[in-house]
Amino acid sequence: MKKISLASVLLLIAALMLSSVSLAAEPIKFGAVNPLGDITGFQTTRAMELAVKEINEAGGLLGRPVELIVVDDEMRPEIGAAAIDRLATVDNVDFFVGGMGSGVHLAQVPALKKYEKITVWMGAASHQVEIAMGPDADWYFHLHPWDYQQGASYGQGWTDIANAHPEIGASRIFLAYEEGAFGTDSYLAYLDLYEAAKDGEGPYGQILNDFAGASFTSALLGGGDYRAMLRQAMDFDPDLFIWAGYDADAVPMVAQAMELGFEPPLFVGAPPGWPANFGDNPLSDGVILYGMWAPALKEVSEISNHFWNEYIKMHGHEPATYFAPLGYTNIMFLAEAIKAAGTLEKDAVIEALRTIEYESPIGAVLKIEPSNIISNQGFTSQKILQYIDGEQHVIWPFEYATSEIKYPFGR
Amino acid sequence: MLAAASKKQYLFIALLVIAAIVIGFWEPHALIYGIQRGSLYAVIALPLALILGILGVLNLAHGEFLTVGMYATFVLFSRFGVDPMLSTVPVTLLLAVVGVAVYLLTIKHVLKAGHLSQLLITFGISLVISELIKSIYTTQPRGVFTTYSYSSTTLAGIRFGTYEFLYLLIAVAVLVGLQLFLKKTRLGQATFAVGQNPRGASIVGINVSFVYLFVFGLSIAIVGLASVFMVPRVSIFPGAGTPYTMKSFALTAMAGLGNLNGILLAGIALGIFEAVVNAIPGGSGWSDVVFFGVLILVIMTRAIREGRR
Amino acid sequence: MRNKAMLIVAAFVIAAASLPLFAGPYFLSVFNTIFVYMSLALTWDIMLRTGQLSYGTAGLFGLGAYASALLVAKAGLNPLVSIAAGGAFAGLLAFFLGFGVLRLRKIYFSITTLALTTVFSVIIRNLPRLTGGASGTVLPRALFNGDPGKNYWMIYCLALAVIAISVWLSKSKTHYAINAIRNDEITARSSGIDVFKYLLFIFVLTSTIQGVIGAFYAQQYAFVQPEATFSMNFLLLPLAMALVGGVYSTIGPVVGAVLLGLVSEYLKLIMPYGHLIVYGIIIVLVVLFMPQGITRAFAKLFTRKMQVGGVDSASLRD
Repeated sequence: MKKISLASVLLLIAALMLSSVSLAAEPIKFGAVNPLGDITGFQTTRAMELAVKEINEAGGLLGRPVELIVVDDEMRPEIGAAAIDRLATVDNVDFFVGGMGSGVHLAQVPALKKYEKITVWMGAASHQVEIAMGPDADWYFHLHPWDYQQGASYGQGWTDIANAHPEIGASRIFLAYEEGAFGTDSYLAYLDLYEAAKDGEGPYGQILNDFAGASFTSALLGGGDYRAMLRQAMDFDPDLFIWAGYDADAVPMVAQAMELGFEPPLFVGAPPGWPANFGDNPLSDGVILYGMWAPALKEVSEISNHFWNEYIKMHGHEPATYFAPLGYTNIMFLAEAIKAAGTLEKDAVIEALRTIEYESPIGAVLKIEPSNIISNQGFTSQKILQYIDGEQHVIWPFEYATSEIKYPFGR
Repeated sequence: MLAAASKKQYLFIALLVIAAIVIGFWEPHALIYGIQRGSLYAVIALPLALILGILGVLNLAHGEFLTVGMYATFVLFSRFGVDPMLSTVPVTLLLAVVGVAVYLLTIKHVLKAGHLSQLLITFGISLVISELIKSIYTTQPRGVFTTYSYSSTTLAGIRFGTYEFLYLLIAVAVLVGLQLFLKKTRLGQATFAVGQNPRGASIVGINVSFVYLFVFGLSIAIVGLASVFMVPRVSIFPGAGTPYTMKSFALTAMAGLGNLNGILLAGIALGIFEAVVNAIPGGSGWSDVVFFGVLILVIMTRAIREGRR
Repeated sequence: MRNKAMLIVAAFVIAAASLPLFAGPYFLSVFNTIFVYMSLALTWDIMLRTGQLSYGTAGLFGLGAYASALLVAKAGLNPLVSIAAGGAFAGLLAFFLGFGVLRLRKIYFSITTLALTTVFSVIIRNLPRLTGGASGTVLPRALFNGDPGKNYWMIYCLALAVIAISVWLSKSKTHYAINAIRNDEITARSSGIDVFKYLLFIFVLTSTIQGVIGAFYAQQYAFVQPEATFSMNFLLLPLAMALVGGVYSTIGPVVGAVLLGLVSEYLKLIMPYGHLIVYGIIIVLVVLFMPQGITRAFAKLFTRKMQVGGVDSASLRD
């Protein structure tokens, strides 16, 4: 009996002390759901930690520190959905951030709608997410360009490049796409763009004459033999060959093309990430890649340079995919908006998120605009990058270019 | 029974050759790709079939051992500059050691617990291996690039890669080696006896537990051998080997338990089917249906025919 | 003794039913997932009791999910009705497939059910007009508008029903036929048991349940997508849960699902990175030290204690 009362008194004291400490500087809580077992989610989390550290070192937000709580979604939809419940009700976070895969995110949509907390989501590019979210979720902000926006932005890019370099054309495009949701969505988007281009309209209106596509099984899902597909591409003889698959496809794809003697003038890869040391591979020279960011941006953008150096200083490894600077952007953008709003009051923060502009290490200014369905879409345009002498360089948009395009591809 | 099986097999070989000639004329590339891929499937499936046939264990971690072999080859290449071809011996030996260790630590203790416990323990092992690799090397793919693995040649106006014919060579070598071992050596005969009837084998004085140990180690070593030759042509990532578990299981079932020769034939047949579908524009999305459709068809036909007998 | 056991069970049932009254959404969400996997684990075990090792749970789960989602998205069916329809569709298909698949035994049955899973998902992926193809179909509204309590009660009732079916099967006359088929099919046949009829009944029953659970899952998260809906997790995790708990019983899969479900959430809490390694090690250790499953290991321990105390405890054994 004595023991119990002593223990409870101690507990009471401890609880009082803790609560008084937290009263002094109750942190603003950001709740993130990332796939920690995957390189994208792992590095995103690391980059978010960097952002939070910088914010807190600069005195926090509204005089309060920021706390980042990260939950692993294990790339399983039901786990990702439960993570939202946990962050909302157990950790009582003020905002939701993070996120990668569309499959997981689709399962989170009902939970997010339930809480209606301000959500600044950085990944999940499938237009299905937009359909599921619907037009009325004014608290939902989506940073990654939607699948259909990506294809459109590259049309703009090639039009600009063709105007600047008359010898470069993209009138015949062949798209090789992995047969899952990621590849198929981008194929469908290209089909729409091609239909428009036939009438001389849309982003490809001035350049595209003929388009074809073929699917393949990604090495990530047990495939990895692209030769039949590549032979179809060879028969089509495109100016521009694009493959939309995953990082595991990158080296075998370009190598099997070499084996077959397939050398299109423009050889483009559009995976979400690239394998380690792809630049060291002799076949990488001249390979063009679609993406949001390249390490070389540190030479033209101050914030990119800052991010690159600080990330390495804090974690001891280099950021490998654009998800790292995107994760940093995710936190910083929200923090800037809270600062601008001067309060955590929902409407004020939403208003601030809609109006501020944030210069991002991704190499673009982040500004919210409506997209097809939702009213709060962040980035809409991508970048055209190229491996030149083992380095990723930006070749478009021209204002962030770190090198001229190397043309044509081939040995 | 044995004679009947081989007669049927000859018939199957004849059919396969005829189909190959027809396809060879119509779409020679599909034939080449099919033989190359099919042989690879077969090399990987043989050790799975061996473990399933002798120990009665369906090894769900089969593909993860393949991944371990790939990373071992990668480490030898990136740390010590060892060409993958020179890694053949060390990696095969390493995987044999890994196989023996895993056997002694885990499988050995559940041999009497029934095949379900064995299934679950190999699932646990597969999870541990793949998550361990993830935490060491992340999910970002690595690669070992060599130019010879993508060299090609032109024959009768057809240009094709030559390296993957190595898969056929290895598949035949492994198969012949296994058959010789099972028929000509003492240990092999003992292994065969254990596969037929373990209790009977132990009564006649065969050291059954050593046979199990040996077969498991040998099988994982073969997986290691396969992984070395795959490395120059694939991306290496934590899930690289995983899909091969199911493919190997499919080949083993299609060939019928205990039929090692049938695995190579089944592998090549399925490889060609897959390649033909892939060669048809718009067909590649259906290749899995063809792969598993053919598998189901073969299994069903056999079941119906045996049911009638 | 029996009454005591019944009381304990009743206490559990009531406590679980009243969970939404005091637990938060996260806790409900975790148990929601546990009940989904528990139901799948039970159906897998029920099939296993006939001696057939099925690898097809993910396939029928996915079919039920798709049938239900498409009926809501394309035909505007009521979501609750569509869940029943999803189960009916999976059951109907299983009935026809059964005439072929159930001729097979051992690994041939296993690999064929596994192959069918892939075939289903690839066919669905290749019919974009009907199914939305690889990018799937999104539903306008989640079941009960995402209300955690209602969703919990729904899956809880479904899981209770599956438990009841499992218990009923182990008490009814069917039980003897099923055990006889598993132990020695030829003897069973010669003693007049219509083996195929029983197998077909169990196959259709378990497939229907898997379809219902899949349909519930699709309605709860309001989307279907080949990669997510036909995920191998819906095969491997239930299988692991049933085996960890102890097969050929009702209590085994139930305990296995609760334990593994809670362990995985707890591990994630204490170690964000690498928790799945520990999860794998736990599975390996359970098999090594409790090869007959956790429930049997505990029952044995309990029985031994009881025997020391001089109480007859035969009723505890199965």
